[in-house]
Amino acid sequence: MLACFEKPLLPDIASTLTGNDEIFAMPMPVSLPSVSSGPLSLSQIEARFKGKLWRGNALEFSTDPVVRSGFDELDNELPGGGWPTRNLTELLLPVEGLGEISLLSRPLEQITRKEGNILLVAPPYIPYIHAWEGLNIDSRRIVIVRVHKPGERLWVLEQGIRSAAFGAVICWLPEASQQMTRKLQIIARSAAGLAFLFRPARAQFEPSAAPLRILLGSARRHTFANTLSLCLLKRRGAPTALPIYIELPQIGSFSSPVASRPTLAYC
Amino acid sequence: MLWIALHCPALSLDWIERRFPAALAPAMAVTVRRGNQVYIRQANKPARKRGVTAHQPLASALALLPDLVVVEHDPNEEMKALHEAAYAALHFTPNIVLQCSGLIAEVSASLKLFGGLKKLCQLLNRAVSAQGLQLCVGVAPTAKGAWLLARSAPSRTVINGTGAKFRSLLDSLPVSLLESAQPHLEVIGGIGCRTLADLQRLPRDGIARRFGPDLLIEMDRAYGDSPDPQRWFETPESFEQKMRLMALVESVELLLVPAQRMIDQMCGWLTSRHAEVSTFSFILHHEYSLRQPCQSTSISVRLSEQSCDPGHLKILLRERLGRTKLVAPVCELALIADEITAGANANMELFPTAQSEATSLNRFIEKLSSRLGPQAVTSLRIIPDHRPECSQRFEAPGTGEMSGVKNASRRETPWKTIPRELTRPAWLIETPLELKLQRQQQVQPVYGTPLKLIAGPERIEAGWWDDAPIARDYFIAENGLGQLLWIYREHNPTAKNHRWYLQGLFG
Repeated sequence: MLACFEKPLLPDIASTLTGNDEIFAMPMPVSLPSVSSGPLSLSQIEARFKGKLWRGNALEFSTDPVVRSGFDELDNELPGGGWPTRNLTELLLPVEGLGEISLLSRPLEQITRKEGNILLVAPPYIPYIHAWEGLNIDSRRIVIVRVHKPGERLWVLEQGIRSAAFGAVICWLPEASQQMTRKLQIIARSAAGLAFLFRPARAQFEPSAAPLRILLGSARRHTFANTLSLCLLKRRGAPTALPIYIELPQIGSFSSPVASRPTLAYC
Repeated sequence: MLWIALHCPALSLDWIERRFPAALAPAMAVTVRRGNQVYIRQANKPARKRGVTAHQPLASALALLPDLVVVEHDPNEEMKALHEAAYAALHFTPNIVLQCSGLIAEVSASLKLFGGLKKLCQLLNRAVSAQGLQLCVGVAPTAKGAWLLARSAPSRTVINGTGAKFRSLLDSLPVSLLESAQPHLEVIGGIGCRTLADLQRLPRDGIARRFGPDLLIEMDRAYGDSPDPQRWFETPESFEQKMRLMALVESVELLLVPAQRMIDQMCGWLTSRHAEVSTFSFILHHEYSLRQPCQSTSISVRLSEQSCDPGHLKILLRERLGRTKLVAPVCELALIADEITAGANANMELFPTAQSEATSLNRFIEKLSSRLGPQAVTSLRIIPDHRPECSQRFEAPGTGEMSGVKNASRRETPWKTIPRELTRPAWLIETPLELKLQRQQQVQPVYGTPLKLIAGPERIEAGWWDDAPIARDYFIAENGLGQLLWIYREHNPTAKNHRWYLQGLFG
């Protein structure tokens, strides 16, 4: 840019238009306790530093809007009471087919109902759109990006999170370093939508910058009910040790239970 | 009226330096012929470092620096560079006047849109200097005044002559800046006139008699005492810009800077015509040789939604260039706006609306498909068919029903989707996977672990009307990992051994 310059010929009247105003930052006013008479009580401290103080046993009060997950057991444990927008959420999935889409169906349905779009980056299989429609997700609002190279997958993910077009971005990311997740989290901070990363279960031992990490597992235990166990590995606030069990909408209601079940010996 | 004058003091060098890839410009000097002697008119930085200065005879400059690249002063090329800079400036105001070594823009109508004089001046400056010109800037209520201030400004500075200080600023300018005073400079200096104020104090009839009427007219126009008609810069009906590079370029990265400059020019031209581009082509001309029959590579960029946003077009072109392999070194670039449409300027929106979301979706899709190829970004379209293979089709997003806002209400098409009572998995495997069989007491299909059937069968028998009939019994099965799978076997009453196939997963 143009530099500041005072013209020697016209010292007092030549005024420069472009200056580096932004480098002169005002010093921040430091708010000190006005009267320091004796130590403050805990309630006084809390009153004074409201919003800046975090107690370790409480779930963090966050100003980011959340989207209800549709499962009360889960909402109770998530900071803010739902899936956090403007943040990365990592879902660690040992294998596909545990019910991971049903878990997200409620927020996705809400997003498409509000005419938002959903981006699927590198899904492991082809979405069967009739089933998604069965979960009330408007299939016309789903955009699928099929990329194979890890670098391009990250690039697409970045662009998707940055874009204002998507209410939710879901990416299947087999490998991601801590730096990548940090970068993605920083980008997600400036976006308005949900961002889910599906990562393999082995990633639970790697550090990640996502503020919410959940290990999914199947807890079907030979019952017909479709139960998913969620283990909150990381969340803002007090950690939990026990997994949450949630009942997914039942699957396999056709000719249930298998009355005319073929004996496998027959085949 | 408010004028911003942009003066390029080094124009005779800039026009050629901007054609070199950045940081590759050699030591150069522009010469001018006076009588039978050739003098240096201007030298660039590497040449100045070695001692080449203006007004030096060419012979002494070459003695100092034998590698000096000597270019003859070429007013035509300078004018072309100024034209290109004017295109870029058209983005900010339609009223631009070309001068011999710069341009003057009338900006009083653009102040509010671009956020005030200071902001506008910065933007204009940035846009024109991005075209590879060094600028001095003057701001004043008259065109001539702004031009004089810009010419008096030292390199890369702005003199703001608006408000009350305008006349006093002009008063202090040296007489030598006036064009009509050039033949009489010696006399004017001889009678003790150094500044415009000195000249103003002289009797007007005397000045007119001695130096001709032009001097008075020029001064009156500068001070705003007499009207100053202007010839505005006019844009042609179509946009086609060429740029010869001064070096043979073999890498795409080095083409980015000139490409972005040309996009800026095109967007300025579009703005001045209130138009938006829907297709443009970027042509790379290769050096002619007998071994290399390919004379040019044409990159045609088609936009799904017309646009005149330079940032977006630059991204698209950059991604397309990134995918292009250069078959031969490039010596010339051309940019042509093939299809333009009359555009309506979008309203600025405070909150995101459906319209702006649709725009950003289109942009996202364009950005991705220009980098990854058009087949990478898809959406799925429902086809009313019970056969899983035939019940959906990949298609480019935005082509079919997807275009969102308009027909959002038409979503309820229950006959199209498979009824909800029939359970379908969220994931389909592209081609059904034949499962291994485990033969112990029973014959069991295996996927990870032996499978346990938990629901079924559901028969899907369809497609007798085309070439892909199926008759399958579908089951839901579970394996030891907790996966719910959608498997089938061919319905064939006569066959003894059934093969099992995995077709989907219940995500």
